[in-house]
Amino acid sequence: MKELIEELKKQIIEVLNLEGIQPDDIDETAPLFGEGLGLDSIDALELIVLMEKNYGIKLSNASEGKDVFKSITTMAEYITNHRIK
Amino acid sequence: MRNIFVTGMGIITSLGIGKDRTLQALQQKKSSIGAMKYLQTTHNNFPVGEVQLSTDEMGDFLNVPDGTYTRTALLGRIALKEALQESEINEKRPKRLALISGTTVGGMDKSEIFYNDFLSGDKHTEYIETHDCGATTDLISKEYQGKFDVITTISTACSSAANAVILGANLIKTGRVDAAIVGGSECLSKFHLNGFKTLMILDSEHNKPFDRNRNGLNLGEGAAFIVIESEESVNERNVNPICKLSGYANTCDAFHQTATSPNGEGAFLAMEKAIQESGLKKSDIDYINAHGTGTDNNDLTEGIAIMRVFGDKIPPVSSIKSFTGHTTSAAGSVESVISILALKHNFIPVNLNFTEQIEELSFKPATEMIPNKDLKHVITNSFGFGGNDSSCIFSQIDLS
Amino acid sequence: MSIYINSIAHISIQEPMSENWFHSPIMYRENYVRSIEPDYSAFIPMMTARRMGLVMKRAIATALKTIRETGIENPDAIITGTGLGCIENTEKFLIAMIENNEELLPPTAFMQSTHNTIGSQIAVFLKCNGYNSTYSHRGTSFDSALFDAVMQFELEKISSALINSHDEMTPNYFKLLSKLNYWKEGEISEEVLRDGKSKGSFSSEASVSFMLENSKSKNTICELKGMEMMYEPDIEQIEVCLNKILRRNNLNINNINAVVVGVSGDKDNDDIYTELLSSILPQKPVVWYKHIFGESYSASGLGMYVAATILKKGILPKHLLYSKTCTDASTPQNILVYNHFQNKDHSLVLLSSCNN
Repeated sequence: MKELIEELKKQIIEVLNLEGIQPDDIDETAPLFGEGLGLDSIDALELIVLMEKNYGIKLSNASEGKDVFKSITTMAEYITNHRIK
Repeated sequence: MRNIFVTGMGIITSLGIGKDRTLQALQQKKSSIGAMKYLQTTHNNFPVGEVQLSTDEMGDFLNVPDGTYTRTALLGRIALKEALQESEINEKRPKRLALISGTTVGGMDKSEIFYNDFLSGDKHTEYIETHDCGATTDLISKEYQGKFDVITTISTACSSAANAVILGANLIKTGRVDAAIVGGSECLSKFHLNGFKTLMILDSEHNKPFDRNRNGLNLGEGAAFIVIESEESVNERNVNPICKLSGYANTCDAFHQTATSPNGEGAFLAMEKAIQESGLKKSDIDYINAHGTGTDNNDLTEGIAIMRVFGDKIPPVSSIKSFTGHTTSAAGSVESVISILALKHNFIPVNLNFTEQIEELSFKPATEMIPNKDLKHVITNSFGFGGNDSSCIFSQIDLS
Repeated sequence: MSIYINSIAHISIQEPMSENWFHSPIMYRENYVRSIEPDYSAFIPMMTARRMGLVMKRAIATALKTIRETGIENPDAIITGTGLGCIENTEKFLIAMIENNEELLPPTAFMQSTHNTIGSQIAVFLKCNGYNSTYSHRGTSFDSALFDAVMQFELEKISSALINSHDEMTPNYFKLLSKLNYWKEGEISEEVLRDGKSKGSFSSEASVSFMLENSKSKNTICELKGMEMMYEPDIEQIEVCLNKILRRNNLNINNINAVVVGVSGDKDNDDIYTELLSSILPQKPVVWYKHIFGESYSASGLGMYVAATILKKGILPKHLLYSKTCTDASTPQNILVYNHFQNKDHSLVLLSSCNN
């Protein structure tokens, strides 16, 4: 789990182009949207692509992402339970 | 304000070529959204509003040489042809005439197929020059045998054609031209289909504007042009005006590139300002032709904006995207033509596929064609990415 | 009704946001030159900048510079001209679509691909609800944007407008346009461009923002006295149009002290300018700018910038003179900016000094 969380942090920094942010700067329990990292709806779409590309998980609509993308930890839990690669 | 009249219109969408077909389909409540036939894509499961002609067939219809025209340009020429006919511009040219057209993907239908050839080889390079938006307008202009005095291209995504109407009106008001042919054109492309798909706003079934269970939009394609003209020019040319352009406004939601502000500020301001400019009272508006794409975000915030503008006296509202799909850059003029048809034939184009009201909204869209009174003034909304929001008002010519 | 240019900012192949080009321009020998980037951190917060392609960053930076200089935080209109829009993001999405067979595509690239992203992101950044439009009409995109603004000033719909001219040139699009002979091969020099006997120019990028207002300020650069656009005019029509602008301002052709033109070294392009200049504006000092700023769909924005700077400084430096045989133009009062694209769309802009 810890490994997956670290992996996710790196992937998110890369895919969302979070220049200047280090993996350690991100609190895996903090909210990704609104406060915390301050991501928005387009970032959610990028995360959906990331999940499919790297873990073979398909979310069919953006609202499903709401619970999954609460924090890096919730994302990691969801990936652990649903990944097919 | 100087009167600006509409003296001609041309339209092509999945409903068919021309105003007559369009009117017939609207009055018979026949949607033209269906399975993909011409667009080649791996995502062919999405229903679309596709013009039922191949690109080659359009070329034949217009008798233009093979291999020089993109689908957007051909659609534009077909609509322009009809607008020129009705306004009798070929026979009786206004003194000074402009063409303002809107598009976003331009010649993308060819670029997306030939891109690798463009880069690596020498094949199909003629389509490099037809890729950009301006080139598209240039190609469309060839339908007119005479010479335009001013030509330009607007690219504000899904409000492009509405903004063309606005620029044309300003050209007339400042006395720079006597008439302007204004509108837009956009074909279906893999680029657009995939783009909207990545935003997860394509409905895999028929779109349901203003329905609580709406699930996104269906892409459409088409083109429409309207001829707007000064009163002096109408008299001088001795042509019959169809209706009046009585108000228009363009505002920016200034909130987010793809999401709208929660209270629909841009949409609210566009409608408010257009009504203000027209000098009408809000209660004079008899029909709202909504942008109504069928996405969660648009229909909710447009609905809120309508409630903010009209309070508890909301005129009938409908989105005709349930008939044609979202014709993107052409939507502003396609829906202007449809609003004018409604005005001229005194009916309310219904909102198809509606079952349940959006709970945050105080109104349901119109599902009955028969209006309570004669339509005198209609407002049509067109909103684009980036919050580029525009509204235009068309009115019956007051004979009193 | 008067229109004043109260602030201008540029990012181009000359030193960004600087007027050093006026006395000591950088000269290039390559046929593909990209803009010199300023430090964007002074303009755009990192979390906002992360999604922006180059053209977007340039647009926000130049817009903010003009806003900071004029204090107009909420212009009545934001109007943008761009020939290719956000072509970098368009290509990114297009290439991904082709390579990945329409799967796993980047939503951000699509969202940032539309032409009006530039103008609307400026509005989002400024929270500006005013008029907002974008023109994408090849080499007269900027001219169209300006034309729209001029008309709205005339109709008294607006009292301030932020007008933008933005184009980036990606390596791929440079290559595509090479196939259509847009660019010269071999080494570029002022002589090669002035010679104008072959096809093509040299490719560059341009980002310019202008703040126009209906009132003068202490920083006013010059006045914009009139503007017209024409499609496929003959020389006589251009002359009629020019006289109309001059007459409206109680001026005549003798009052024009210099003409700024878009000669670029491309034979077909330059011949049109030469013909017009010799027939209706003979003996006028002719100013060019594409020899130092290069050619792009947004170059005409730089043309107006160059004319405005000459008026503001009250001198016409020798290195900007295209014509060798000009008479004295030491303190120009009125400058005509003339631009055309492929002899189809033509524009005339008359600028006048406000130094007195």
